[in-house]
Amino acid sequence: MASREIAQYPSASRRVFGVVTILFIAFYLLWTLLPLLIMFLSSFKDLLDAFQLPATGDWGGVATLFTFEPTTKHYENLFLELNFGTYLGNSLIASLGSAGISVVLGSMAAYSLSRLDFRGKNHLFFWIISTRMAPVVAVLVPLYAIFRSLDLIGTLPGLILAYTTFNLPFAIWILKGFFDNVPYAIEEASMCDGSTRLQALRMILPLVAPGIGAFLVLCVLFGWNDYLFSSIIGSGGAKTLPPATIGLVQPQNIQWGSIMAAGAVTTVPMLFLGVLIRRYLVAGLTMGAVRE
Amino acid sequence: MVEVNIQNVWKYYGKTVAVKELNLKCPENSFLAILGPSGCGKSSTLRMLAGLEHISAGDIFFGDLRVNQLPPKERDIAMVFENYALYPHKTVFENMANPLRLRNVNREEIDKRVRRAAELLQIEMLLDRKPMQLSGGQKQRTAIGRAIVREPKVFLFDEPIAHLDAKLRAHMRGELKHLQRRLETTTIYVTHDQLEAMSMADNIAVMHEGVLQQFGTPSEIYNHPANEWVAGFVGEPPMNFLNCRLERGADGVVAVHPSFRLALTDAQRRLLEEKGAEAEVRLGVRPDTIAYRAGAGSGLGIAAKVFVTEPLGGDMIVEVQLGADRITVKTKIGPSANLDEPCTIAFDAARIHLFAASNGIAYF
Repeated sequence: MASREIAQYPSASRRVFGVVTILFIAFYLLWTLLPLLIMFLSSFKDLLDAFQLPATGDWGGVATLFTFEPTTKHYENLFLELNFGTYLGNSLIASLGSAGISVVLGSMAAYSLSRLDFRGKNHLFFWIISTRMAPVVAVLVPLYAIFRSLDLIGTLPGLILAYTTFNLPFAIWILKGFFDNVPYAIEEASMCDGSTRLQALRMILPLVAPGIGAFLVLCVLFGWNDYLFSSIIGSGGAKTLPPATIGLVQPQNIQWGSIMAAGAVTTVPMLFLGVLIRRYLVAGLTMGAVRE
Repeated sequence: MVEVNIQNVWKYYGKTVAVKELNLKCPENSFLAILGPSGCGKSSTLRMLAGLEHISAGDIFFGDLRVNQLPPKERDIAMVFENYALYPHKTVFENMANPLRLRNVNREEIDKRVRRAAELLQIEMLLDRKPMQLSGGQKQRTAIGRAIVREPKVFLFDEPIAHLDAKLRAHMRGELKHLQRRLETTTIYVTHDQLEAMSMADNIAVMHEGVLQQFGTPSEIYNHPANEWVAGFVGEPPMNFLNCRLERGADGVVAVHPSFRLALTDAQRRLLEEKGAEAEVRLGVRPDTIAYRAGAGSGLGIAAKVFVTEPLGGDMIVEVQLGADRITVKTKIGPSANLDEPCTIAFDAARIHLFAASNGIAYF
């Protein structure tokens, strides 16, 4: 279950390596967290405060970044005047909806690909993966044509369908690997206990929970961060946060404060999702019940 | 509760034949062991009984019910797997309760039955644990518990104690047999361990390469093996085989080996005549029916040399070089002998077996 303890002995190179590791991690944290910090801070700053930057090389001036009058006017602007509530809702519905559909269909498809033998199985599996090989833009135009004839342009179901087109193959691909690792015996035991195939599948679902969790995050992120589909297929009735944020960049007036606030609004739900799903990502649930 | 009847069953995997024209009957409430080495088709047979695999040809009946087309849940069986196959995310209690839950038994009844089964298996104190926190023996008891909470028509065991350590295995043999007698349920038990089959079963079906070699009680299998293969597989240490020639002398029929001549009994002679025995035979002798004495000219009929002695505490295994052949003798413990030390041995003519050299079929 837990990784095995590996004996390590002190040596000069190991000490140097340890220092380098720490430096690297520190730099990496700075690199990834600083932009987020600036975004959050700026979203609460008045525009004048936001552009109060210390001169290059003036390390003492860093404090000026943190001295400001907090204001929530950008958030008020977003939600009261710019309809960001609706866009946030659209984003949530589209990304979670697509992820949900992909989990249900994907786990069933992955299960059958993992467990059953049928003619052309490998070809089918390759075809499923290959649909992910084309870049999004390549399928956008034909998809648009199809969706228009079905009256799905500018609707949430259309957007969900578009995301699912890309999420589902991915789901099948990831989940098949997880199902492959679950011993047959557990389902067989369940069927001998008196369950149907479907009940047996439900029995082993908790064992692939780490896979489902990981994939759920990735699917939600795909929909959440998507700009292309949303701006073209969702344009009109199903605008989501990314195109709405871009909309804040107007030729005459780039609304930096609101853009920062929109960035924060876009980031926070995903942070919560990460925390929520974290415990499912811990693998090793299957250990110990089936003797290998 | 029900008689299990396997009729002309075949199992193919692609072009490979796993089970060949199997006919087998397990009487109501009896304990049948299917014994054979790995790859002999015994597990395939069990899985066909469970409904986990399709029957390629033939029929399986539970009583009067033909079960070929029934999924496992409709066959009313309970199976214990070699690797236990517990649900890792569920507690021992939930594992055992699962078959009852699937049948919509009410909560109090589930609780009662699980606790009774746990008591029987002495795992009451483990009910809240997860499989990960159990030892091998405890997991195995849980798996058995899951099978016995319900009263199924047939118990199917697929090498359930193969992975336990030797001491626990010996203990569980007794417990399983006791449990089967107590629950009075038709039981089919697959094993590669002849000791398990001999000690637990009412009947044994010995399989080899997909073919049923012999079906009989443990004593029949041991004392009257149907062919050389069964004779060699059952018994520990295994039976010795020597190439001999039958010769008719003045004193009756004699089995002739380069190192000895063994006169057969009248009853044996008649059996050989009835079956039209060939001259070339394989002589089978169980190690514990051979008399052994150390030292040259120590009085037993056949002179031989010691290859090695293996003391086992109370008994001793002596491997003896007899001309070009090496045979195993089991005797009471005595002083160890050195390499190539002379000794004498003797066969008990009444307790030997003869097999046709051409096809291994037993004459007696």
